[in-house]
Amino acid sequence: MSKLFVKHLSKSWGDTEVLHDISFNCKQGSLLVLLGPSGCGKSTTLRLIAGLEDPSQGSIMMDEKEITHLVPGKRGIAMVFQNYALFPHLSVVENILFGLKARKIKKDEQQKRLKYAASVLGLSDLLDRRPSQLSGGQRQRVALGRAIVYQSSICLMDEPLSNLDAKLRQEMRQEIRSLQQRLGITMIYVTHDQTEAMTMADQIILMKDGEIEQIGTPEELYKTPATAYSGNFIGTPPMNILRPDQKILSAFESRKMDQELLSKIEKQCLIGVRPEHIQLDETGIPATINTIEYLGSETLIACQIENQPILFTTPNKLNMAPGGAIKIGWGVKNLHVFDAKSGKRDDSVYHQLLN
Amino acid sequence: MKRRTFYFSESLETTAAWLMGAIWLMPVLYAFWSAFHPAEYSTHLVLSAPLTLENFYRAWEQAPFVRYFLNTFLLVTIILIAQYILCTLAAYSFARFEFRGKSIIFSIILLQLMIMPEVLLVENYQTIGKLGLSDTITAIGLPYMASAFGIFLLRQTFKTIPTELVEAARVEGVSSVGILLKVYIPLARPTYIAYGLVSISYHWNNFLWPLVITNSVESRPLTVGLAIFGAPESGVDWSIITAATVMTMTPLLAAFLLFQRQFVQSFMRSGIK
Repeated sequence: MSKLFVKHLSKSWGDTEVLHDISFNCKQGSLLVLLGPSGCGKSTTLRLIAGLEDPSQGSIMMDEKEITHLVPGKRGIAMVFQNYALFPHLSVVENILFGLKARKIKKDEQQKRLKYAASVLGLSDLLDRRPSQLSGGQRQRVALGRAIVYQSSICLMDEPLSNLDAKLRQEMRQEIRSLQQRLGITMIYVTHDQTEAMTMADQIILMKDGEIEQIGTPEELYKTPATAYSGNFIGTPPMNILRPDQKILSAFESRKMDQELLSKIEKQCLIGVRPEHIQLDETGIPATINTIEYLGSETLIACQIENQPILFTTPNKLNMAPGGAIKIGWGVKNLHVFDAKSGKRDDSVYHQLLN
Repeated sequence: MKRRTFYFSESLETTAAWLMGAIWLMPVLYAFWSAFHPAEYSTHLVLSAPLTLENFYRAWEQAPFVRYFLNTFLLVTIILIAQYILCTLAAYSFARFEFRGKSIIFSIILLQLMIMPEVLLVENYQTIGKLGLSDTITAIGLPYMASAFGIFLLRQTFKTIPTELVEAARVEGVSSVGILLKVYIPLARPTYIAYGLVSISYHWNNFLWPLVITNSVESRPLTVGLAIFGAPESGVDWSIITAATVMTMTPLLAAFLLFQRQFVQSFMRSGIK
C-alpha cells in the first residue's frame, strides 16, 4: 500500500526551475532515499513534502488525501533536520515534548511516549541536559526522539548524518535503519552519500539536475544502472565509463565479434565496467599504472589505457611502481552498455555482445 | 627592541585607562564624601571629619522624593514594557515576513536613529498638548515607546536565529505567534536584557524632555525633581544636593554592581557596545 504519492511536482525560483516534473510513491513502512549530488533538488523535494515550500506545479497525496498546499503542522509529518534543530534554551525532555505540547496532547500520554522514546533511543540518563551538553550522536538521538514521539505517519530526514564523524555515522546508520524497521516508520531520507543510500534504503530515487535519474532498489541500481550517470554515482569506487576506442574494442575481437556491431559500439555507445569486475589478465588490454593505493583487504589501482583513466581493485598486493605496464581484462557479462548521446542503458547491444 | 615598544604601548594603554576611570570616578567620590559629612567639610577634605546621615534626612524632608522615586519607577517600567511589546512585534515582522514597502518602512525607522530626540522637543510638546496628556507620566514615555534602536537591535538578533529552528517549530504545528513566543523571544533573551538595561538607565537619567513636559509633583521624575531641588534660587547647599544625588543614583548603581556579570555577558552576546 502506498503511503505517499508525488505527482508531476515542479518548483521554480523566479525563472529558474529547480525541480522538473517529479513523480514517485512511497510504500507504507518502507525507507525511501532521495539520493543525488548537491543542487540536484533532493532537499527541495523533501521540503515540498514537508510543506516548508510551496510547489509551482503538481500534487502530493498522503493516505489518499491531498496535502499539496496544507501548512506543515497539519500534514502529520515529523522531520529531522541536518543540524538537528534542537532548541538550545530547552532541555532534552522539553525538546522531545515540544511538538506534543504545541499540539496539546494530554500530559500522561506525553509522559508515556517520552518514556518509550527515551528507552528506545537510550536517552533516559540525559533527559535534563541542554543540547549544548550533548555530543553529536546524542543530539541526533534527541532529534530522532522528537520525531518518534509524534507518532506521525511519515518521517522526513534531511541529511541527518552529515555532521557526524565517519565511525559514528556508520553506527547511527544501522541504528536508524533498525529503528525504522522495528517501529515500522515510513521514512523519506535525503542524502548525498551513496553508501548511506545503499545500506539503508528499501527504495532509492537517484536525482540529477532536478530530475529523477533512476528509481529502484539498491540492488537494481547497482546491477542495472539506468544511465551512465547512475552507474557512476553508485558504488565505491565508482563505475568506469569508457569510450570504446580501438584498443578497448580489441578486447572483444578475440571473441570473433560481428564487425558491424563493433563499429556501432564504437560510434554510438559508452561502456561501463565496475572496478571490482576488472582483473589483471595476461591476455588483456595493456595499461599504464598511475597510482597504487594499498588498503589492506584490497588494492586500488588507477591506470590508463591510451588516455582513458580506469580504476580497479584487486584482492592482492601489487608489487609495482607507478608508470609500470600491466594487462587488464573484464568479463563481457559484467559490462554495461550505454547510449553515448542520451546516456541511457542499451540492453539490446549488451545482449548482442553476449551472444 | 620590538618587545620594548610592546611594553611601552601596553603601559600607555593601562595608564590611560586608569586616568579615565579616575576622572569618571572623581565627581562620584566627591558626591559620596559631601553627602556623608557635615556641610562645613564639603569642600574641606579631612579624613577625621565626622560621618553623618543628617544631609539625607534634610534632603528627604525638603522635597517629595518618595513621589519622585515612584514616578521614575513607573516611568521606566511603562516605557520598558511598551518598548518590549512594540519593538518585538515590529522586529518580528521585519525579520520574518515579506510585505510591500518593507524596506522603505525599515529605512524610515533607521532614519529615526539619526535624529537627536532634542530636535523634536517642540514638535513633541505640541503633539502631547493636542492629545491632552501634558504633565503626565505617559507623556514623558510616549515619544520613546516605539524605539528605532530597539526595533533595529531585535531585528538583527531575530535574523541570526537559524531558520531550521523556525522550520522545526512549523513542522511541529506551532503558529506564527507561537514561534515568536517559543522560539524567537527565548533565544533573544540576552538582547532583551541588554536592551532593557540601556533603556532603564537612559530613562532613569533622562532630563530635558521630562523637564519640558512636566510641571507638577505628581508626574515629575527624579532627575527633574533633583534639578529643581538644586536650582540656585532655592539656595546652594552642596551637602544636601549631593545627598539627594546619591539617593537618586544609588538604585542604578546598586543594580549595576549586583548584575555586573550578567550586564557584561549580555552586552557581549548581543553585540552592543
